[in-house]
Amino acid sequence: MEYLLHILIYFAIYALLGISLNLIAGYTGLLSITHASFFGIGAYAVAILTTQFGLGFFGAALIGMVLAGIGGLIIGWVLSRLSGDYYMLGTVGFSYIIFAIMMNWSSLTRGPLGIPAIPRPSLFGLGLGDNLKLFLLLLFVLLVIYLLSRKLVASSFGRVLRAIREDENALRVFGYETTNYKLAIFAIAAGMAAMAGAFLATYITFVDPLSFTIMESVFIMSIVIFGGFASLEGSLLGAFLLVLLPELLRFMGLPSEIAGHVRQGVYGLLLVLFMMYWPKGLMGKYKV
Amino acid sequence: MDYLAQFTLNSIINGALYILITLGFNLIYGVTKFVNINHGAIAVVGGYTTYYLFRVLGWQVSVSIVLGVLVAGLLGLLLDRIVFRYLRENKSSNVTQFIASLGLFTITQSVLAIVFGSQLCSLMGDGPARPYNIFGGFLTSVHLATIISALLAVFFMFLLLRYTRFGKIVRALSDDEEVAKIMGINTGQVIGWVVFIGSALAGLAGVLVGFDLGIYPAMGLIILMSGIIASIIGGIGNFYGGVLGSIILVVIENLGMVVFPSEWRMAVAFAVLVPFLIWRPQGILGKK
Amino acid sequence: MNKTTKIILGVVAVVLLVWIVVASNGSQNNSEIKVGVILPLSGDAASYGEPWRNVFDMTAEEINNAGGIDGKKLVLIVEDGKCSGKDGASAMEKLVNIDKVQVVLGGSCSSESLGAEPIATRAKVLLFSAVSSSPDLTGKSKFFVRDYPSDSAQSKVLAELAIQKGWKNVAFIQEQTDFAVALHKSFTDNFQAEGRTVSKEEFPKDTADFRTIIAKVRAGNPDAVFVDVQTAMAGERIFKQMQEISWKPNLLLSDPAMGDGQMLEKNKVFLEGAFGAEFVIDPQNTKLQHLLEAYKAKFGKDVEYQSYAQAIYDQVYLLKDGIEAVGYNGEKLAGWLRTVNNWQGASGSITIGADGDRVSAHSLEIVRSGKAERVIE
Repeated sequence: MEYLLHILIYFAIYALLGISLNLIAGYTGLLSITHASFFGIGAYAVAILTTQFGLGFFGAALIGMVLAGIGGLIIGWVLSRLSGDYYMLGTVGFSYIIFAIMMNWSSLTRGPLGIPAIPRPSLFGLGLGDNLKLFLLLLFVLLVIYLLSRKLVASSFGRVLRAIREDENALRVFGYETTNYKLAIFAIAAGMAAMAGAFLATYITFVDPLSFTIMESVFIMSIVIFGGFASLEGSLLGAFLLVLLPELLRFMGLPSEIAGHVRQGVYGLLLVLFMMYWPKGLMGKYKV
Repeated sequence: MDYLAQFTLNSIINGALYILITLGFNLIYGVTKFVNINHGAIAVVGGYTTYYLFRVLGWQVSVSIVLGVLVAGLLGLLLDRIVFRYLRENKSSNVTQFIASLGLFTITQSVLAIVFGSQLCSLMGDGPARPYNIFGGFLTSVHLATIISALLAVFFMFLLLRYTRFGKIVRALSDDEEVAKIMGINTGQVIGWVVFIGSALAGLAGVLVGFDLGIYPAMGLIILMSGIIASIIGGIGNFYGGVLGSIILVVIENLGMVVFPSEWRMAVAFAVLVPFLIWRPQGILGKK
Repeated sequence: MNKTTKIILGVVAVVLLVWIVVASNGSQNNSEIKVGVILPLSGDAASYGEPWRNVFDMTAEEINNAGGIDGKKLVLIVEDGKCSGKDGASAMEKLVNIDKVQVVLGGSCSSESLGAEPIATRAKVLLFSAVSSSPDLTGKSKFFVRDYPSDSAQSKVLAELAIQKGWKNVAFIQEQTDFAVALHKSFTDNFQAEGRTVSKEEFPKDTADFRTIIAKVRAGNPDAVFVDVQTAMAGERIFKQMQEISWKPNLLLSDPAMGDGQMLEKNKVFLEGAFGAEFVIDPQNTKLQHLLEAYKAKFGKDVEYQSYAQAIYDQVYLLKDGIEAVGYNGEKLAGWLRTVNNWQGASGSITIGADGDRVSAHSLEIVRSGKAERVIE
């Protein structure tokens, strides 16, 4: 049961990440490979604020979301002048810069040492410390965000996003300030990713920069790719599959030295196959 | 020992390496028009092939090097035929092709790790290469080989693209594939040759790095990232741009390491990339 | 995605979930004692994960051949911690909740231990490390114990040497890992003073090109260079590139470099006279001699990283004694280990303090003809 909870918690975290990235990539058509950076900002915010400043989890998580949102605005603004290949390369650049900050600004983040002893959440003195309660809280948050995202996507704001994806120039001609919409969704998604990061920090009670590399951003993008662009349910499915499959490999009895590489290889193969034969993903409505 | 002299020599050595990578990368990008992440892995494959032939099987060093380069070229061609041609024919976007190349990169890296292990392999064997003292700085025989190779490659490519019929066709293709097809050019065959040559150049880079610094499976991404930044600075898809960009990047990187603590090196490189992406995405020599 | 695919996926999902729930209900077999082990089996750190795993396997086999623990067979369940906090935690989760062990021998990398510890504390399982040396782990939890001393000991010895030699500035070439950072910090704490400085250049884990760093360090004209690396491999690259610019400074090595016999041998000319501090290796210790011979006999080569290997060997035997004394219970064993006093092992006399740390010292060594020799004061 405990182990199941462990997997479910990871599922919920990555589902949050998948949904938020899908809003940017699937609905708005912005291929962002820096999502792990916002994931990391949320995690580090909680880590630093709770261990060094004694803030509670909820306060720290909220601040983390705001910080990530601001970061999203800045990065999104810089990137808004780019498109296509260059946009993506720009996100890779930011991903690396933020990782370098996490790793090198040791006075703030303790660099490679990471930050241990992050406390679990507690509400009005009531501990939400054990895994079950944490999962239920996380599930609640996931549900809220999922429903909000659905509303967002169905609204006129959502329609504009999809229109931006299809033909941004046409929209501009009609007088829409597309940059503002792109910035808005980027910041919102960044905040969601930060929330996921907050939960990661409090669950493992330890953060270090290596959890937030470019490869992690690629992993999150794969959730969107496999699950399907522009499908929130697809992101749920994608997160479920990508979290579950590695755990299965653990049971398969591969010699442990190559198990990790086999998993990577299979994952790469799936990316190639999906791009060739199912570019929309399992449940997607948009071919990238 | 004069620090300036060493610094200059270091820049020249790294510059030569980047030039080899950007030559191949830009050549291929010119006709396929997408960022191929697997290019980095192909470089490493070239290095490992030579390693296997030379150090494991004990073959003659020049034979091993030539074969390493050829195998890299062939692998690039093979993957293009199997994966990317299919995607091109299905009018897949360059983002799709990029993601597929990411998948291929992951597979290649994992296979190399399973076969050769994740450890560093040095083609040179034990012990350092003999240093030569040049104006107060030091260069080894391998470094000389790298620099000479880069110069020869640039010269050869220049002649090829400028003065041969093949070169003219390649330039026509990179300008506009549709028109080239209408003009009766067998674009498929030309692309094949271009991919082969570009991948072979990457393989050569991998071999030289292997002799100088050693190779390990995950190295491809780092080398390629620098190559991509150099290409963008100079002008992506542009032959001279790659050369110019390599020189500029290498000077900035080394300068950065002098001014900033060395751990910020890659962050500096990306930080240079971002202003280019914003204000001059076509690079110094690119046309809008 | 059509209906059939959805149904198939649904069935698969249900099957997987059921499987996991069933698997979680595993339990201990009565004729065996199942113990978890966390090692870095993939990634960079795999270069030491592998020899350590060999030591674990060999020691368990030795114990079982002599009748096991209380007549029961010792079974090791090994999980890959990948030298990361996140994966150390995952590995711990599996060992505690699926394999239902009472003891986990690990983590190896300190980040693995830091990630695994909260799980151990919550589940009241003993986390016993023979390798993690981060000062952050001292007294972290009453369920965490280690028979390997904290890093602060290593740099203290080297700092004292540096002071004794009259060196005024020491330049670090330091890898960006928790281990290397901690070494630098405690060296600085012990060395830095009036007229003595420590400078550093950090490098990220997979760096292959050290040329500019080395040139930069050389320009600062240090009295000695501390090559503070996580793996011998990184050290080797640095040595090679130093030689390529014909520079041979006074060298201080971190123990992964000092402990790699092969690397010392290959670079013996360059490393002649280099200093390092390893956790006590006493070549006269009969248990250590036995460990070295048995390893060589079974695996056909010399054991790497002897200082850690001896701690691992002792750890498994300590566990045996503990279980025979208080039974196979995580909480009781954690308490019992803290009472260990002057227990004789391959790594010498083991005493574990109330904070769970091993009380001990590192000893200064110097490289002579490709071998690390203890410097007897």
